[in-house]
Amino acid sequence: MKKKVLATLLCATMAVGLLAGCGAAKKESDSGSDSKEKVFRYAVSTEPTTLDPTKANGIGDNEIQHALTESLVRNTAGDVQPGCAESWDVSDDGLTYTFHLRDGLKWSDGEDLTAADFEYGWKRLLDPETASPYAFIGEYIKNGLDVEQGKKDVDELGVKAVDDQTFEVTLENPTAYWLSLIGSSSQYAPLRQDVVEEYGTDFAATADKNVYSGPFKLTGSENNEYIFEKNENYWNADKINLDKVQLTYVEKPETQLSMYEAGDLDYVQVPSAYVPDYEDKSEKFTNGNVDYCYINHKSDNKALQNKNFRLALNYGINREDYNKLANSSVHNAFNGLVYQGLQANGKTYGEAYKLDSYPLAGDNDKAKEYLEKAMKELGVSKASDISVELTTTDAESSKKIAEVVQSQWTENLGINVDIRQVTYAEIYGEVLPKGDYEIAFGGWGADYDDPYSYLELFKSDAAYNYSQYKNDKVDELLNDAKVQTDAQKRMDELHDAEQEIIDDAAFIPLQSRNIFYMHDERVTGLNFYFCSLNFDWVYADMK
Amino acid sequence: MAKYVVKRVIAALLSLLCLITIVFFLVRLMPGDPFTSVKLTKEVAANMKSYYGFDKPLLLQYATYLGNLFQGNFGYSMKYTNKTVNYIIGQTFPFSADLGIRALVLAISFGLVLGIIAARNRGKKLDFICVLIAIIGTSIPDFIMGAVLQYFFGIKWGLLPVAKYLGFEYTILPATALAFYTLTSVSRVMRASMLEVVQQDYIKTARSKGLTDFRITWKHQIRNAITPVMTIMGPTVAAVLTGTFVIESIFAIPGMGKYYVESINNNDYAMILGMTVFYGMFLVTCNLIVDILYGVADPRVRIGKR
Repeated sequence: MKKKVLATLLCATMAVGLLAGCGAAKKESDSGSDSKEKVFRYAVSTEPTTLDPTKANGIGDNEIQHALTESLVRNTAGDVQPGCAESWDVSDDGLTYTFHLRDGLKWSDGEDLTAADFEYGWKRLLDPETASPYAFIGEYIKNGLDVEQGKKDVDELGVKAVDDQTFEVTLENPTAYWLSLIGSSSQYAPLRQDVVEEYGTDFAATADKNVYSGPFKLTGSENNEYIFEKNENYWNADKINLDKVQLTYVEKPETQLSMYEAGDLDYVQVPSAYVPDYEDKSEKFTNGNVDYCYINHKSDNKALQNKNFRLALNYGINREDYNKLANSSVHNAFNGLVYQGLQANGKTYGEAYKLDSYPLAGDNDKAKEYLEKAMKELGVSKASDISVELTTTDAESSKKIAEVVQSQWTENLGINVDIRQVTYAEIYGEVLPKGDYEIAFGGWGADYDDPYSYLELFKSDAAYNYSQYKNDKVDELLNDAKVQTDAQKRMDELHDAEQEIIDDAAFIPLQSRNIFYMHDERVTGLNFYFCSLNFDWVYADMK
Repeated sequence: MAKYVVKRVIAALLSLLCLITIVFFLVRLMPGDPFTSVKLTKEVAANMKSYYGFDKPLLLQYATYLGNLFQGNFGYSMKYTNKTVNYIIGQTFPFSADLGIRALVLAISFGLVLGIIAARNRGKKLDFICVLIAIIGTSIPDFIMGAVLQYFFGIKWGLLPVAKYLGFEYTILPATALAFYTLTSVSRVMRASMLEVVQQDYIKTARSKGLTDFRITWKHQIRNAITPVMTIMGPTVAAVLTGTFVIESIFAIPGMGKYYVESINNNDYAMILGMTVFYGMFLVTCNLIVDILYGVADPRVRIGKR
């Protein structure tokens, strides 16, 4: 019996010993932080896929590069300011840009930054040898697509370093949002040829294998921790307040929240499921992501080629209820295609244009009316004879969305809705590109601040025309907008195209996304944007 | 003994080669490819495929892969561009192994003690308590255990860091959470095996010789009962040391657990193969060590195998 007691006691002492030892250690490390240095700490839940600016693939990578690179201009939450270029001239046809670089530009290692670094960087983006996953963002440049496809030599790309401080670019079309685009897309960063060639395929594999042109330089990139330090060689270093930024990759948003609660982070995004609990403490921004259901206009399901049926589907959804049930009202119910916060000649797009669309609360009478018309045209006597298949990814949130849409259509229209779940790789690798679906849940975020980014998905010859949609009126409007130099007229055309897409019920809009976040009260100067990147801390400060 | 070991090593290498071949061709059957993303255009996809050599015949790719593998080169990740699989394993494995060793030490020591206590008190209160702990440990999944520990010790009481892996105090919560499941399986196996041994004649002999209880348990019972525990240790050690997806993600530990799961979701061929081969090598080695240890713990195994 004594031995039993002894064994139990032994276990207990060991456990207590473990806990006691560490409690003390933590207190010491807490008081160790330097009070003078301004350090900003935050976390992301998607691991950066690369540190190579040319190969940045999506918002997460681009956010990092936004702090590390400086393009010709800098786009801060839509405000485009001179960057490496002090000024620029645009030719009358809007096709040729001549950028004049600042005096004394330097890389983080002290070398001079010249126009040749831009020429090299932009050519590398489109060079098929580079195989950048975002090469398409360079297709605006003259011969961009041909170079990318290997039809033309890289030297035929429309970029030229005239001298050390003059950089000339020729575009395929006069692109209204061109400057805004290059100011927020790191793929347009300057690059140092000698550094890229020195490291070859290991270029930018770690922080020390690159040099930096931006407000910050990367000094650490190991064990899921990325350390940014102020780049003293940056031309506008006086405007940069933070000394150091510590970015940790923490996969689980719930863990990030716990770390924030424990004081280990200065900024955190609130995971959707926790938003109701943190509503009072958090603020929100819209990230420009619009979610909707694609309709396959060439599917074997004849009903989907019937406009009245598509209208019935659209009127048959109560988007307000949907938003409550599927998202706990975290997002906004939405009945359009183009994100409302885009800029449209000095106003937001939502202020400038009023879309005439399906009511957010739905309209069951209208839905039934359209359904009856559709049934007559299709020669169907019972609504339950019509079946549609809704494809979605196997993510828990997408499944919920599909189920809400399914129940509303079944209830309001009386049709059959089957849900098919596939993996993320399948939906973007097979289902959407090959048109192997009837209706599919997806969405879009803009790469640049212009309605065209969203509308292009419904242009018959566009790479992303996942709906296999062809509408001559839409094509005509969008083609004209591509070359139109009158800004007002161009924006009108884009709005008309959106209206036509809605009138034709080409897709099924659902929601526009909100992101909730919290930050330490000492933090100021955070910026949020809705294309290419969401979170911009370059000008942040710690009081 | 030497012959036995050589035979086992050759068998291990052969099974590794089978593993590589099967996985190499299986991953190509998965829908999609490594470059799937919302914004990928046809032109870009074609360039990326030729960059990674996917435009070459599959058998040639296989031969190239094997050639590289013999030089210890797992190739470049397709998702994390410019990083090699070797680099990623080199970065993450030390964290997973460190956490795993801590968890194993906890699990084995406490598991054995619990199993022995339970067996020696069969049917009594202490046995009941030990079995209860085992049942709780088996039925609570590690992600709940991790989250609960994190909430109470990290946030509510502020005793320990919530996440990351920067020093001793950071290791306690994840190691405990990770150890729990293994601990309970060790204790269950140990208890059952101890009870079986107790029935054996040599225990009765020892008792009739008048040996003390402690001596009987320590010298005769435990040594004979431990073989089944060693059997489960091979795969357990391999699994725990090469990273655990759930615990590492809850505690934001930069280990390799997530790359197993993620590489498959991403169709990152090089990473899937690298991870599988690495894990395969580890598992085969662990089993080999266990086989050899059998001989140490129980000389009869050695004689039998000759």
